[in-house]
Amino acid sequence: MRGQRVDAAASSSTARSVARFLLPKIAQCVFVVWATYTVAFLLIHALPGDPVLAALAVKGGDATTTDPEALEALRARYGMDGPVWQQYIVNFLALFRGDLGVSIATGQPVADMIGRAFPHTAAVAGFALLVGFVGALLFTVWAYIARPAWVRNAVTQIPPLGIAIPAFLSGLVLITVFSFGLGWFPASGTSGFVSIVLPGITLALPTGAIFFQVFSAAVFDAGSSPFVFTANAKGLAQRTVVVRHVLRNALLPSITIIGLQIGYLAGGTAVVETVFSRDGIGRLTVDAVLARDINVVMGVVVVVAVVYAVVTLVVDGLYGVIDPRTRTRLTGGKAVKA
Amino acid sequence: MIRTRDSRMRRLAVPLAAVAAIVSLAGCAGGADTAATPNTDIDQDVVFALKEDIVCVDPQQTSVTTALIVGRQLTDSLLDQNPDTGEIVPWLAESWDVSDDLTAYTFTLREDVTFSDGTPLTSQTVAANFDAVAGLGGAASLASGYLSGYAGTEITSDTEFTVNFSAPNVQFQQGATTMSLGIVSEATAAATAEERCQSIVGTGPFVLESYVPNDSVEIVAREGYGWASELREHDGDPHLSSVSFPIIAEASVRTGGLESGEYDIIQDLPYVDEARFTGDAFHLYAKPNPGVPNSFIVNTTRGVLGDEAVRQAISKSLDREQINVITGSVSGAAPTSVLTSSTPGYADLGDTLAFDPEGAAELLEDSGWTRDGDGIYEKDGQPLTVTVTAFYAQDVLEAAQIQLADAGIDLRIKMVSTGDFFGAIASGDYDMLGAGLTRTDPDALRTLLSTSSVARWAIVDDAELEGLLQEQAQTSDVEARQELVAEIQQLVAERAYVMPTLETVQLHASRAGVEGVTFDSAARVHLYDAMVVAD
Repeated sequence: MRGQRVDAAASSSTARSVARFLLPKIAQCVFVVWATYTVAFLLIHALPGDPVLAALAVKGGDATTTDPEALEALRARYGMDGPVWQQYIVNFLALFRGDLGVSIATGQPVADMIGRAFPHTAAVAGFALLVGFVGALLFTVWAYIARPAWVRNAVTQIPPLGIAIPAFLSGLVLITVFSFGLGWFPASGTSGFVSIVLPGITLALPTGAIFFQVFSAAVFDAGSSPFVFTANAKGLAQRTVVVRHVLRNALLPSITIIGLQIGYLAGGTAVVETVFSRDGIGRLTVDAVLARDINVVMGVVVVVAVVYAVVTLVVDGLYGVIDPRTRTRLTGGKAVKA
Repeated sequence: MIRTRDSRMRRLAVPLAAVAAIVSLAGCAGGADTAATPNTDIDQDVVFALKEDIVCVDPQQTSVTTALIVGRQLTDSLLDQNPDTGEIVPWLAESWDVSDDLTAYTFTLREDVTFSDGTPLTSQTVAANFDAVAGLGGAASLASGYLSGYAGTEITSDTEFTVNFSAPNVQFQQGATTMSLGIVSEATAAATAEERCQSIVGTGPFVLESYVPNDSVEIVAREGYGWASELREHDGDPHLSSVSFPIIAEASVRTGGLESGEYDIIQDLPYVDEARFTGDAFHLYAKPNPGVPNSFIVNTTRGVLGDEAVRQAISKSLDREQINVITGSVSGAAPTSVLTSSTPGYADLGDTLAFDPEGAAELLEDSGWTRDGDGIYEKDGQPLTVTVTAFYAQDVLEAAQIQLADAGIDLRIKMVSTGDFFGAIASGDYDMLGAGLTRTDPDALRTLLSTSSVARWAIVDDAELEGLLQEQAQTSDVEARQELVAEIQQLVAERAYVMPTLETVQLHASRAGVEGVTFDSAARVHLYDAMVVAD
């Protein structure tokens, strides 16, 4: 805090207005997590079938016991005996201690399993987001400056292929070419940066395609707007116009789309993690759902809900920084006084 | 961990591999390959791609094949069984004795055996193992099944002990050869079920180096190993110095990786890919799981299946050869009994289970079913409809569905999750189950059919069958038991309580430069004799 020159009154008023801006959003964030937990809990418990039996079958194969006494003992051991409302309250309160319960299928604490898988998924998702963003930006600029019109049309038709081709197929093609054919990247595993590249690119294709849709719409919109016309008329260099006027205007909608993209990536990783045999949240979820390992499913749901809520919070915050109109509201009319 | 071979090296290696393949083909035919030796110029490390996460390392708890492939390398058993003859031979126990009433098994242990943590194998250790299995109960269903009626282990000396049962237990001797009753160290036996799933200490030729869930398992050779059973091809340390098992869920990635040389051995080659790997550059390893083949297992208390004529008609309408051609392995064969051909005590019932559509039609018409044109049979306005509940092998069920439709029988397929399948068993809510049961002993039929079995799948009330099932479980004389087991198979097939559809073959593949991969009697892989002969 050395060298801070803002006077106390102004800083406390700023803090108050920031709090007034953020507190409702934080409350919203907590509500989203609670609501997600509750809906997931109700849905899982409404399903027919016995979760203990299902999880047991993962380990027992065709020798799975159906002896009622043995099942009852296991149910007690995994905290799944007693009335449903009691399980709901006890498990929800446990969340505040960071306790997500114990996996029925593996016997490990759910928090440990998610803690193990989460960085692997985050690495791929982060890489995909970056590659998708940069790729979409490059394509947008290319499409904007491309002449004549038919080239521009052709360029704008390429990115949508990223969504049209399923991740499952593009992943296998990448493995065949770059792992088995050229031997540049491993086909599986989670060791080091090289293992992130292929799954990251697989996920970057649909992610980038969505980014491109948003970017290109905003950029072409901005490109035909009066201020760009003015800029061009003033004789500014094409590069300056693109960077300073066109792209800057396209940035705002893309911030919003990042929040949605993270939601998509949470689901998209399941396919990619299966194709590339990577440990991660998506595969953990698939395994848990197949085994009806409800403790793990609930744990993943809560963690993803928290991530999603926090990302939304950050995006809202970023809006305040980027968009001057929001910033004015944020600082409580100080801009007017100044 | 990921090995990518230089492609130029591989091209050079092709002639070498071809020679090796010729040598090993001779070996495959004979079932033993004594001529081959590991190539000392090449690292004896192999990459063995598994198809799924093993979930639990401990072979006493898990009964999933993938996990047992790893568990078998880490633990030894008291006894071993010759997969070809069914003969039981010493392993960790140098001799053993079974009481006439099958309630007491006395073993004498080898004296030189140690665990990889340095502790010696004693009677106390084995007792701790069996006590622990009994304590695990439902968490170790297969192992505790082999120990059913366990009444304690009586220790006579450091190397002598007697395992007692409260009732005759015929499957224990066979069970003692499987990894389900593989022996772990006293410290492992004392650990919790969850801890044991992450790490175990055994006396096996390999030691667990690491297990990262959903990623990989690493095992390394045990130095100073010297107690292989006589069924193995060599003595002393294993040839391989390490094996890594990456977990590769996607089948096309496993096959692609085998072709490109990223993996040396792969588990579970899909049948459809079999033809691609029949050349000289690869070895295929195929073996039917012992026990009951993939079958329809009936509930006679529901619907039309209480009628023996209907059951027999269904069985006769199944063209098992055709099902095997459509959905089975090229290396496999159609089932010819209610036990697989790899199960000790198997009896060939090819005639009883022959495809006989005319016979089926006659049976149904004689018992009052009528059929209009190509439609489904009817009786008293009720159509001949049967539902089968299953959680795998949908292709087999669909092939059967087509065949049965031709015969005027309407088969409905109900695919459910694994948990719901066992849920249906627990509540008895099904017409037929579509599944197989892997066991190394013909007692599998008692497990499946007896009214007193806790893992009962078929619901039948047949006093004659029940008597035979109980009698074979109490007969210690091998010849006499064999006769009973043959009689049971005949009866079960004839009365169509179990209608086999397909012998599910475990199909693994390796590149030709890797040799000596063998199956044990439970159709799980032994890597002790495996070696790299060419790169």
